[in-house]
Amino acid sequence: MNVQVIYCNHQSADLAVREKLAFPSTESLQRAYEELRQRFPRSEHVVISTCNRVELYVAQEDPADSPTHQQLAEFFSEFHHVPLESLMEEMLDFQGPDAVRHLFEVASSIDSMVLGESQIVQQIKSAYEVAMQSSSLGPLTNALFQRAIAVSGRVRTETKLSEGKVSIASVAVGEFGKSIFDRFDNKTVLVVGAGEMATETLVYLRGEGVQDVLVCNRSLDRAKRLANEFSGQAKSWEELNACLVAADVIVCTTGAERPVLTREMMKTVRKQTGTKPLFLLDLGAPRDVETSVGNLDDGIFLYDIDDLEATCERNRKKRSQEIQKARVIIEEETARFMQDVYHKATGPIVKRLRENWEEISRQELEILYRKLPDLEEQERQAIEKSIYRIVNKLLHPPLETLRDEARTGTPHGMIDAIKRLFQLRD
Amino acid sequence: MALDKVSLFCFLASYTVALALELSQFVRRGLVAQMATMLFGLAGFIAHTSYLLARSQQHDLPPLLSSTHDWMLVSAWLTMALYLGIQLWNPRLSIGIFSLPLVLILVGIAPFTSRTPIPQVFQMRWWTMFHAASYSLGIVGVLLALLVSLMFLIQHYRLKNKQSEPLSLHLFSLERLARLNWWLIVVSVPLQTVGMVTGLYMIHLSKSGNHPVDLMSITVGLNATVWIVMALLFGWILGAKNTAGRIVAWRTIVSCLYMMLTLAVLLIGQQDAIHTPVPQPPPDTQGGGA
Repeated sequence: MNVQVIYCNHQSADLAVREKLAFPSTESLQRAYEELRQRFPRSEHVVISTCNRVELYVAQEDPADSPTHQQLAEFFSEFHHVPLESLMEEMLDFQGPDAVRHLFEVASSIDSMVLGESQIVQQIKSAYEVAMQSSSLGPLTNALFQRAIAVSGRVRTETKLSEGKVSIASVAVGEFGKSIFDRFDNKTVLVVGAGEMATETLVYLRGEGVQDVLVCNRSLDRAKRLANEFSGQAKSWEELNACLVAADVIVCTTGAERPVLTREMMKTVRKQTGTKPLFLLDLGAPRDVETSVGNLDDGIFLYDIDDLEATCERNRKKRSQEIQKARVIIEEETARFMQDVYHKATGPIVKRLRENWEEISRQELEILYRKLPDLEEQERQAIEKSIYRIVNKLLHPPLETLRDEARTGTPHGMIDAIKRLFQLRD
Repeated sequence: MALDKVSLFCFLASYTVALALELSQFVRRGLVAQMATMLFGLAGFIAHTSYLLARSQQHDLPPLLSSTHDWMLVSAWLTMALYLGIQLWNPRLSIGIFSLPLVLILVGIAPFTSRTPIPQVFQMRWWTMFHAASYSLGIVGVLLALLVSLMFLIQHYRLKNKQSEPLSLHLFSLERLARLNWWLIVVSVPLQTVGMVTGLYMIHLSKSGNHPVDLMSITVGLNATVWIVMALLFGWILGAKNTAGRIVAWRTIVSCLYMMLTLAVLLIGQQDAIHTPVPQPPPDTQGGGA
């Protein structure tokens, strides 16, 4: 059994690279799963694609079926039409326990830009569900992701990582928004997009006193649902320009593959609004706002995910003690998971060996009962008990040795030796 | 300590230590240094107040009126009071690195200015008081606008360049800084205007007194140009809508620098023809004016 991950995240690659490799919609994810199944039919796959990371988890029963780093990078390159050479350095990979540890760190938000954020667990859960719907999940990835979600819960309960500013929105508003505006209760907030990130941002902004909320989305129904939740107004996509004029704070969180706010659009908007301060937060990956919009005039303050990196790093340093505690938990859970995996790998051989010996015992007992037909039921039971006790005692040393070996890895050599010694067939 | 024992050096030294401690926060931010800054600032402020009270008792005049030396110190005292008030209200704010240098400049210049009461004060006490109070407060307001504009530009630069806020430089929001700047100019320039008008009226009255002042003197001319520049800024700020805060800040800074430069020229060149000290007047001339 083998688990591997190939990934790029906010630490290894710029947003410009991440947005090229992202799978922004469920449709693109499903297409990716189809492609992966064709390329690696004997593997299980799960893709996590968020604004801060793109990760592909691959698992196989037989390690010989594992795709190479090159093959996985080729998949990304061909799927996204990005030159392979530019990807090879940006994409990192882990195998076995390192891959498991990485997923646990991601789920526990240790690896997140905003330490302690809770959104990543939701994103992992939804990645897991999409993989399940696309039939890309298998027993190993199923167990791995279930365990990752459990580990995330344990880290949250046993450490103080989730205290303080734990969302991208809170960092952005806390670090930049509050340095632009004194208060938010007299500001109009426009949210472009109606996804999970939009909800999270509005929750935080509502806490800061925002009352006037506009939600503009391509699907008006989704905009209405979100607007109702925050007593805001839903606006159709055609009304976007009017909303841009009214807004003091704009949060873009769409899953669009191209920028939805272009320089030309914003130029027209600024002709109407003048240079009043505008806090523009682009939380999309791929980005929703053309970067040149930030240079249109002195009043526009545009920030994307990568601009929040320095603040997040400062918060991370402040909570290094909690990170240590979380790492101890993750290490413990990784070891336990790997033991379970190795143990599962020895399961079939143990089962076959036991079944083989029990079969031999049963055959011998039948021969014995035919020779001694006058045996009482009580005597038969006593003989059977003795035989099974002998079988168990004989099986105990090899199985115990196998279990010991399985603590540090799949004991392929030992499994082969047992198969040959006891002539067990696959 | 007796009031008359407090020297200018006492509070100048306290303020210098406070500024050094404030600057040390850029190297290492700590609660102890923050508390020590406040303590030295407060100690200096108490000494400063004592000094002004002693000066006031010495001449039997309000501190603002005694001499150029005193109004410099009153301006520094007002700035310091504002700094301490804001710092007590919000200890996280980094106001000291802006206001303490200004206080030090004002206190540092004070020894080189005239300590003798200006002649007119004994002839037109209430007019002089009104003139000095409005003009000095106007100048302090404009100086504070300069500091606020500097803070605005620093904050604006940081936000435009997407830089994280340094722990040692926590400033007001751009919105509040822009509002403060607007109010400071809108209040200070009318005060300066009142000071200017009363000054002109006093020049007119001085013609019949012992110490006539020439309306065509360099002092009057230079002060008039300062007033014109400030009035232009005032008019522009009131009329300008949808103007970027950064431009407002730059124009405020340029106007304030012009004002400071003019005052410095008057001070260094000893061109102050109006406020030139004269020997102590006879007691029966006191209590004149409005």
